[in-house]
Amino acid sequence: MNGGEASLPLAFRLARRELRGGLSGFRVFIACLALGVAAIAGVGSVSTALTRGLAEGGQDILGGDVALRLIHREATQEEFSYISEGHDVTVSAEMRAMARGVEEDESGGRGQTLVELKAVDDAYPLYGAMELVPSMPLADALAVRDGRPGVVVEPNLLSRLGVAVGDDIRIGDETFELRATIAHEPDRVSDGFALGPRAMMTRDALPGTGLVQPGSLVEYYYRIRFPGDARSTSDVASWTEALNERFPDAGWRVTDRSDSAPGVRRFVERVALFLSLVGLTALVVGGVGVANAVKSYLDSKREVIATFKCLGAPGALIFRIYLIQVLALAGVGIAIGLALGMMAPFLVDAVAGDMIPIPAEMGVYGGPLLLAAAYGFLTALAFAIWPLARAREVPATGLFRDIIAPVRRFPRPVYVAATGGALFMLAALAVALAEERMFALWFVAAAVAIFAVLRAAAEGIMDLAARAPRFRSPGLRLALANIHRPGAPTSAVVLSLGLGLTLLVTVSLINGNLTGEIANELPERAPAFFFVDIQPDQTEELASLVTGTPGVTAFNRVPMLRGKIAAVNAVPSDQVEVTPEAQWALRGDRGITYSSTLPEGSTLVRGTWWDGDYQGPPLVSFGEDLAQGFGIDVGDTITVNVLGREITARVANTRAIDWTSLGINFVLVFSPGMLSSAPHTVLATVEMDATADQEEALEREVTSKFPNVTSVRVREALQAVNGLLENFATAVSATGVVTLAAGVLVLAGAMAAGFRSRVRDAVILKVLGATRGRILGIYIREYAVLGFATALVAALAGTLAAWVVITVVMDMPWRFLPGTLAVTIAAATFVTVGLGLLGTWRALSVSAAGVLRAD
Amino acid sequence: MPDKIIKLDSVTLSLPSAAGPVNILRGIDLSIAKGETAGLVGPSGSGKSTLLMVLAGLERPSSGRIICAGEDLTQYGEDRLARFRRDHIGIVFQSFHLIPTMTALENVAIPLEFAGKADAFARAEEELKLVGLGHRLTHYPGQLSGGEQQRVALARAVAGDPEILLADEPTGNLDQATGAEIIELMFDLHRRKGATLVLITHDEALAERCHSVVRLKDGLIESVEAGAAA
Repeated sequence: MNGGEASLPLAFRLARRELRGGLSGFRVFIACLALGVAAIAGVGSVSTALTRGLAEGGQDILGGDVALRLIHREATQEEFSYISEGHDVTVSAEMRAMARGVEEDESGGRGQTLVELKAVDDAYPLYGAMELVPSMPLADALAVRDGRPGVVVEPNLLSRLGVAVGDDIRIGDETFELRATIAHEPDRVSDGFALGPRAMMTRDALPGTGLVQPGSLVEYYYRIRFPGDARSTSDVASWTEALNERFPDAGWRVTDRSDSAPGVRRFVERVALFLSLVGLTALVVGGVGVANAVKSYLDSKREVIATFKCLGAPGALIFRIYLIQVLALAGVGIAIGLALGMMAPFLVDAVAGDMIPIPAEMGVYGGPLLLAAAYGFLTALAFAIWPLARAREVPATGLFRDIIAPVRRFPRPVYVAATGGALFMLAALAVALAEERMFALWFVAAAVAIFAVLRAAAEGIMDLAARAPRFRSPGLRLALANIHRPGAPTSAVVLSLGLGLTLLVTVSLINGNLTGEIANELPERAPAFFFVDIQPDQTEELASLVTGTPGVTAFNRVPMLRGKIAAVNAVPSDQVEVTPEAQWALRGDRGITYSSTLPEGSTLVRGTWWDGDYQGPPLVSFGEDLAQGFGIDVGDTITVNVLGREITARVANTRAIDWTSLGINFVLVFSPGMLSSAPHTVLATVEMDATADQEEALEREVTSKFPNVTSVRVREALQAVNGLLENFATAVSATGVVTLAAGVLVLAGAMAAGFRSRVRDAVILKVLGATRGRILGIYIREYAVLGFATALVAALAGTLAAWVVITVVMDMPWRFLPGTLAVTIAAATFVTVGLGLLGTWRALSVSAAGVLRAD
Repeated sequence: MPDKIIKLDSVTLSLPSAAGPVNILRGIDLSIAKGETAGLVGPSGSGKSTLLMVLAGLERPSSGRIICAGEDLTQYGEDRLARFRRDHIGIVFQSFHLIPTMTALENVAIPLEFAGKADAFARAEEELKLVGLGHRLTHYPGQLSGGEQQRVALARAVAGDPEILLADEPTGNLDQATGAEIIELMFDLHRRKGATLVLITHDEALAERCHSVVRLKDGLIESVEAGAAA
């Protein structure tokens, strides 16, 4: 009768009995899975909390159910009547401007800073509430008192200008009384990247500043609240559709509350994708620990397995008995990981809640937890099937005689296929669920490649150790022998520690290159300032002021407008098919200019430049990268909406642009003519070879003489960008450390697995007369060689990966950072030696007589 | 002439080793009648244990034919051999080989569970009572003496009513008095169950108690003599 021989209930029963032995050999197994699952579940939960917050708080973040943004111009009477019909509307004007203190500071100057100006009407805000310190209604804070309009600002403006609430500050030509600081502005997130602190005034006060001139870079926001009974998503969607049909050429950007801050959402999603891939790497590193733990557990069960076989258990039953145990233990690890991951949003909220500008909906989210659990089980399967399949081949004859050499049989094809299938599922899940599949695919491909490299490196290291010349020092000889002997932890150490280290090296080299590129290695001729919103009639006066200032080495100016690409070859921009890398150019409006000559920092790639006195139909010169992304060539047409007017121009040529010079350059450069007659402002750059004080003096002089001109200090702007990068790098490094922690766990597990043979080695060496110091020396040499070799391989692999990202993906110059590598190699060697010794220290103190008696 | 339950025909076995193949069995011809007892004796390395493994279907011969309980083992694959053991063979080891995480009762029940017997635990309890361990059912191997562990192993070996009982130096790890008890118990069980017993031992007196004494040397049968039971 065969009925019960391999049945599942029997396998469950026997597995349960076997598990009575306890979890002691499985601590590392459980920890590895818990760590990886916690990382993935945590990242998933936090990002879901953030995106959910963005979605649920859409009205507050947007400041309306729908927001329209116009650049350079206000809505026409017709447009305004349409959008305000049956709706509440608040209109605000936003621009960058300079704020200055009125009182002189100690040095006789007045502080000044760039501010993000927002002029609001009485209806603002439609959703959410402004919170001010001291607490007061916004209308009171901004009202005119004693002939002075009020202004409220973000707190960091106070220190920049050296002013306090109650003081006066000047913005443009107007003096404002600073009435309060802003504690919370509901729709701040949807306004995007800020170069300076917010300053808010009424729309009535704006004309007095003199900042709004023809062509000034002013953004007009129309935030719309729908009536309570017509506010459903479909109401909003059908209204915006009708709006676009009614005013197809308005050139406004329409955002609705379902995607209130697309830029922020995309950023959150991208960071989350990257971090979850890093978390997955940690899980896979932990997989090595899973495989080791399963293997050593099954090694300890060889006798039991052989007994089962003698008693008539078929191989399939043995496989099932142990698979069930492994899955049950994996369940424990995954449950711990999920519990930790579930807490992540609350932890982030408690620790950094104030720093996150998004109203996150902290909670427990099933989706990311389920996904993390799936990753955990797949990893456990992928790494456990192989040793399990080998276990079913354990010969029962071992019970009758000592096995001379372990039988090394390749698992049966079905198990090899199952392992491959689980690994494939892991990769497929990671890629399929990613918003940006190509990125995920490359990440997975790189991880697989690095895994293969490390595996080969481990074999190489063992091979080298085996072929090494016979050293005279017995200590070194033994250390090398320990690296290549059968059952040595070499492979586990190189793989697990190596993968974590490679990731860390890659991230720190990329980060070092990016921040170095931006902050430390400013091009020699980088401008000190950008002056924005210069009126054409101010240009000459400003030029003579600037060029007459000592230290100024160059002054460049170009006309500037903002425009939105409306169509490519007459195909509306929302229907144009472009590569993902070129999508950004279609999303919002772009700075455009016109020029009779080829701009500096550009080289012609295709086509020819127009004649200096060209006056024919509009022509445009296109950035080569973008032209490729758009799939357009010389002779194609581009339609741009400027100030509500559509201008169609033929592509005359394409240019390669060197953005790193930080000079003025535009993707779209038009031929003079039609654009030169449109209202526009001038953008100027100033290059200086001067002290910070001299720079400040010039800035002060320009902005007090031309209050409507805004000065952007390149150094400050770059610091703001760098700050963002640093935050991102910190998040990545933190997750990278999880990977390294997984590696360290695996290392500790491998050391623990080899503990018994370490004890025997130590005892035999002691019997032969070795002191503990000498034995310790042998171990230190072994671990140092292993750690150093692993770090070296990881450094090489990480450098290669970072080099590819920097030079191929980002197209930036590569800087080698030997310091970063040296630190990595030293730290890895130190950690390996430290952990190794920690694991073997006890082996030294075991009594030799006890071990020998037991034998 | 009684039925031959074990019949070996020119059985050879070589195993690979670092120094080249080692010929462990070099042409064994052996027959054992149903219900009889046979004692295998010989110096270390003579091939006794290997011969036992070949009989249990745990080791495949390099050549020759093995008929056990009417089945030609040389024709079977791994899982078929496992089923053959389950249904026809009971084995007692020198080192007991009980499963440490299972109670005495569970250890004895395993082969019955493998065979899908619904009354596995009731029968296991009976067997344990037969070997005098009715009061130790829920004890784990670690809580039992060596003699008790070997009794559990004996109970496990006979629980499925095997036709052939194989014992590999069953007293090797026990003191003399306990060993003698176990031997008595084993012969008693053999009689009660009517199983054929093949016993490896270094103890000439013990071998002499069997129907036949098979002497092995260097992988060959040196002699087959009639024992006291013949």
